[in-house]
Amino acid sequence: MMNANNQDSGDDDPGNTNAFLNPLLIIALSITSLIAIWGLVDTAGLADIAARLVAIQFTSRAWFIMLAVSFMLLVCAWLTVSRYGRIKLGDDDDEPEFSTISWLTMLFAAGMGVGLLFWGTAEPLTHYDYIAEYSGSREAASQALFVTNFHWGLHAWSIYALTGLVIAYFSFRRKCPSLVGAPVLDTFGKNRITCVVAWMSNLLAIVAISIGVGGSIAMGVFQVQDGIDRLFEIESSGMGLTVLVFVTLCVAYFPALVVDLSRGMAKLSNAAMAVACGLMIYILIAGPTHYLMGGIVQSIGDYFGSVLVHGFRTFTFFDERVNNWFQSWTLTYMVWWIAWAPFVGVFIARISRGRTIREFICGVIFGPTIFSILWFGVFGGAGMYELLQNGSSIMAVVRENVSGVTFFVLSSFPLPLLTISLVIVAAFLFIVTSVVSAAFVLGMFSSAGDLNPSVQIKLSWGVILGALGFVMILSDNIAAIKAIIALGSLPFVFVILLLVVCLLKTLKKEVAISK
Amino acid sequence: MSDIVDTLLNIEVFVFIGLLFWLYFKDFDKS
Repeated sequence: MMNANNQDSGDDDPGNTNAFLNPLLIIALSITSLIAIWGLVDTAGLADIAARLVAIQFTSRAWFIMLAVSFMLLVCAWLTVSRYGRIKLGDDDDEPEFSTISWLTMLFAAGMGVGLLFWGTAEPLTHYDYIAEYSGSREAASQALFVTNFHWGLHAWSIYALTGLVIAYFSFRRKCPSLVGAPVLDTFGKNRITCVVAWMSNLLAIVAISIGVGGSIAMGVFQVQDGIDRLFEIESSGMGLTVLVFVTLCVAYFPALVVDLSRGMAKLSNAAMAVACGLMIYILIAGPTHYLMGGIVQSIGDYFGSVLVHGFRTFTFFDERVNNWFQSWTLTYMVWWIAWAPFVGVFIARISRGRTIREFICGVIFGPTIFSILWFGVFGGAGMYELLQNGSSIMAVVRENVSGVTFFVLSSFPLPLLTISLVIVAAFLFIVTSVVSAAFVLGMFSSAGDLNPSVQIKLSWGVILGALGFVMILSDNIAAIKAIIALGSLPFVFVILLLVVCLLKTLKKEVAISK
Repeated sequence: MSDIVDTLLNIEVFVFIGLLFWLYFKDFDKS
């Protein structure tokens, strides 16, 4: 048994260009650049191949993905109630760096990416449109909210929680470098096989993060573009505006990669979060409050009543259409969370030093889940109200232009110009802060855990993330974006499960030694 | 699709799950 802190922890001078001689960095940059170049040269071809490969994987391994995420939730539950729950993420005398309230707020900010702004109304209504064909429209509304909450709830956050827990435990308590592969070396010792596995784990994490963040850039750009279209009442601005939004985004995030703006970034992220919360409260108060609150209360009951059972549903005995829906939504979401897991995991680990495992898991899985239920209850409920009570044409927007749905809902409330502008600003801030943080984490992973990766490395990742985002924008198709993300992140599910084994084995040993 | 690719993809998963169990239960300190 050896401690991995004697491996190269990246003591290089941050400005040292020799950091580019690191094989992991070269290979990771090459793989992601090749994907980006392929996408730029033949966008349709990349999207088509990604969709085919993902369909094969999803058909053959749907059971495994659902079993894995349910297993992760059960492991989280067990760790919380077990004797391991008292173990601190850090030394025994370490105290939490942040108060519980600001810690929970930062967790929300991590999960409150651009996705919630994008899908707040669109996702429940898309499910509604589908489920209403199978069951009555009123029943479909609550089922649609349930499925949406399932996608954004405990299962998603237990993937993040476990990844973050492994990184936090091995970094702060076992004093390993903050790398995805470090727990493997710490648990099983350093030999040829474990070094290869650890190295591969780091590489897979890098590929998963870069493709996942690239997809979010594309979705964010689509949403900002649709917001501008609606704000200026443009029928369809086409690719010109999309490219303009993308270029503005790059102009905004490149300086932040050169200058250390970590504190500023945290403030921007909190500002975006505050805007999003403000909008939610505004819709709740200015909208049909009793209807929205009724929907939220029902959602809480529906969700906690069936969440565990639903985690094991694979829709095996349904027809092909239901299976396609299951693959393109539930499975895609689960692998999307897996894609973001190393990135969000590092973030939540960094802010959680000094907390016990019990506190960590309860905060990470329950806090954001309850927030998501409120969020979808308000935005999804407002959409349902438009559809079921006002009989508006919102479903046509859902079918034709999913990124414009949030703006359609806001248009039916007072002060639409203000609220639409705020969503555009918040979406923009979320993407900028995500890209800057992702470039930092990728730089850290690709320079042996160096907490101050060089500016050149961060800029390289900034360019790659931008290029991947641009490729996905060129595909101009949300389904293609989802397929590319799924393809990049599927292998990482194996890594997370291996990390869970490392964690459980090391915890067992720690408790045995302390006895 | 219930062909060789499907079978191989699933066998890979079975082997991986078996490997996880083995890694969890094997005592590497004794070896």
